[in-house]
Amino acid sequence: MIEPYDAIVVGSGITGGWAAKELCEKGLRTLVIERGRHVEHGKDYVTEWWQPWQFAHRGRGEQQLYERDYAIQSKNYAFGEATRHFFVNDRDHPYVTPDDQPFRWIRGYQLGGRSLIWGRACWRWSDLDFTANGRDGHGVDWPIRYRDLAPWYAYVERFIGVSGERLGLAHLPDGEFLPPWELTCAERVVKQGIERAFRGRRVTITRVANLTRAHGGRGPCQARNQCARGCSFGGYFSSLSATLPAARQTGRLTVVTDAIVHSVIYDERTNRVTGVRVIDANTKAAREYSGGLVFLCASTIGTAQILLSSRSPRFPTGLANSSGELGHNLMDHISKAGARGTVPGLEDKYVYGRRPTGSYIPRFRNLGVPGEAKVGFLRGYGMQAGSGRQGWGRGAEAPGLGVELKQRLREPGPWGITLQGYGECLPRHENYVDLDPERTDQWGIPLPRVHCSWGENERAIREDVKTQGAEMLEAAGCSNVETYDEDGPPGFSVHEMGTARMGRDPRTSVLNAHNQAHDVPNLFVTDGACMASSSCVNPSLTYMALTARAVDFAVSELKRRNL
Amino acid sequence: MRDPLMTQSSNDPIDRREALRRAALLLGGTLSTSTIAGVLAGCEVRRTSEGAWAPRALTSDQLELVATIAEHIVPETDTPGARAALVHRFIDAMLADSYLPDERQHFLAGLADVDARAQRSSGRAFLRCATIEQRAVLDQLDREAFAATLDRGATPFFRTMKELTLVGYYTSEIGATRELRHAPVPGRFEGCVPLDQIGRAWAV
Repeated sequence: MIEPYDAIVVGSGITGGWAAKELCEKGLRTLVIERGRHVEHGKDYVTEWWQPWQFAHRGRGEQQLYERDYAIQSKNYAFGEATRHFFVNDRDHPYVTPDDQPFRWIRGYQLGGRSLIWGRACWRWSDLDFTANGRDGHGVDWPIRYRDLAPWYAYVERFIGVSGERLGLAHLPDGEFLPPWELTCAERVVKQGIERAFRGRRVTITRVANLTRAHGGRGPCQARNQCARGCSFGGYFSSLSATLPAARQTGRLTVVTDAIVHSVIYDERTNRVTGVRVIDANTKAAREYSGGLVFLCASTIGTAQILLSSRSPRFPTGLANSSGELGHNLMDHISKAGARGTVPGLEDKYVYGRRPTGSYIPRFRNLGVPGEAKVGFLRGYGMQAGSGRQGWGRGAEAPGLGVELKQRLREPGPWGITLQGYGECLPRHENYVDLDPERTDQWGIPLPRVHCSWGENERAIREDVKTQGAEMLEAAGCSNVETYDEDGPPGFSVHEMGTARMGRDPRTSVLNAHNQAHDVPNLFVTDGACMASSSCVNPSLTYMALTARAVDFAVSELKRRNL
Repeated sequence: MRDPLMTQSSNDPIDRREALRRAALLLGGTLSTSTIAGVLAGCEVRRTSEGAWAPRALTSDQLELVATIAEHIVPETDTPGARAALVHRFIDAMLADSYLPDERQHFLAGLADVDARAQRSSGRAFLRCATIEQRAVLDQLDREAFAATLDRGATPFFRTMKELTLVGYYTSEIGATRELRHAPVPGRFEGCVPLDQIGRAWAV
């Protein structure tokens, strides 16, 4: 295809895929630039069909290798012997954190990015979220409200396929759902107990981008619960299963892999971006691509790194950074704390298949409803729940061996349930990403430095998660209830966001209500960098809706010759 | 970097992509992913059964000791036990690739202690003891391992041995498909069915 492209999309993950699809379908010749390797849907899901006994270490992996090359990535729940190839090698891709401020940056540098390994939970945000900054004064007010995004949520849900249950909750708006996954027997008992004991609290199945029936030529999901290996059924949504094929079908898509974007090229004369500089990941040679529009979808920290590297006399501290907020207000969700217990009885019941998701207790704190409990923190949290009968692993935790042990483990063990809180993180200027002034990676690109720590509000949420989790399980009749707190550092929830926030005022925000840079009209950022607050629900669905909406705006502006 | 496909038997690991390419060419170039995976699985099984396998962390005596202890933990009943499931090979791979040097040493010291205990109680090395004598040594180790408090010092040897045995057995083809239930592609999920309908615990 002949340059200049009509549009350049940096990144092929969950938002890059959406930007590509929307731009191509609206008639723009679009170049997608991916820093990682090419991955072919199906063919390159190399472990998809392996059975447990075909892994040399039976999924337990090689600890020595992990400590050397995957010190950060191996802490992620989806990382393992079956999925290692979809995570970066930490030694090859360093970043900097202060010694007392760890940040776990989980990355997948390949075509499709982290959409191959994401958790797939899909919750709409509500006006409780979009008005939060304005109400309590943390961060800047969102320049949009739920009504602006609602049609785009529906548009995205219809394409990706989200299974879920309608609840009629104002603060967790219903969407367009495929049939929900079933709750387990234990979850049904716990749901009844919690909903009876706590007015207004609900237990529901997670709304998830796993197809409970065939949808748009994909799926259905086969209930293997091994999504992060890749799924040749297309049973879950990813860029590879859905958006990139749709973009390709238009005949307007070009994809370049192994190309690391160093910076965006800016023309001061026209105040427009004109393309990007890339470094070839293999040869390390530099080259340029030109295009009429640039969409940055390189992930929250990746996008910040690119913009901070794009310096010019007009923007000496980074492209589109006249506000000084570029790189700042980094957020994640707190998690890794909660409660667990045993669900008594139901010994004659079991499950068939491996459900690729858990259940969920929507936020119940600070909803602004009459008579609700006063709590010592702002905003709130939801709880993700997992349940099941114990398996053979319990044999390693108690005495006994021989025929008796083998017979015992032939039967499933007791039912258990675990609640894990996911809590909102406040936007704070002092949590930020900048560039190391000296150190670069092997491609000569300055290393990002991440400075991020939890604040008092997040710690207070964490305590409430544990107390409420235990109280709910006790009220539901569980035994052996205990709390846990693994104190995951920021980044661990892989919901990092906020480094180029949207806002109404160009003096305090990087992007406007349409994800367009305040400073540069043909530059858009639609990945997690754009977020002005973090809500407590998983953010990917919102990123996708914002991306589709931003493309719609960009193309209409293009037609009006405003870009 | 070691490829997870390559078993411990492989001294000349071929690149995964190359393996896929060869498999595809071999069978006409229009294979489904599952077929290719099946072919490769077959390759792997053949490689391991050709006798090329040799332990990397254990001596042959230690390997036999591990196999014997593992068989005591998960014996043959109406289904095969740990030895038939080649649990000792898995344990060797874990010791070689996953355990740090001091953890490996701790495990090997635990094996030596099994022999020392057999010497004390029966005057013979463990492998030369009668089955009932062997079992008595292991029962004692098992009791001690679970009586010890975990927060002080290293994990008792027998806890590690037992965990590795259970992982190796229940993730083996024998353990997963003959002893327990395994559905590689369930196709659907039902959240609450009679246990009788499944019969036994799921392996995964």
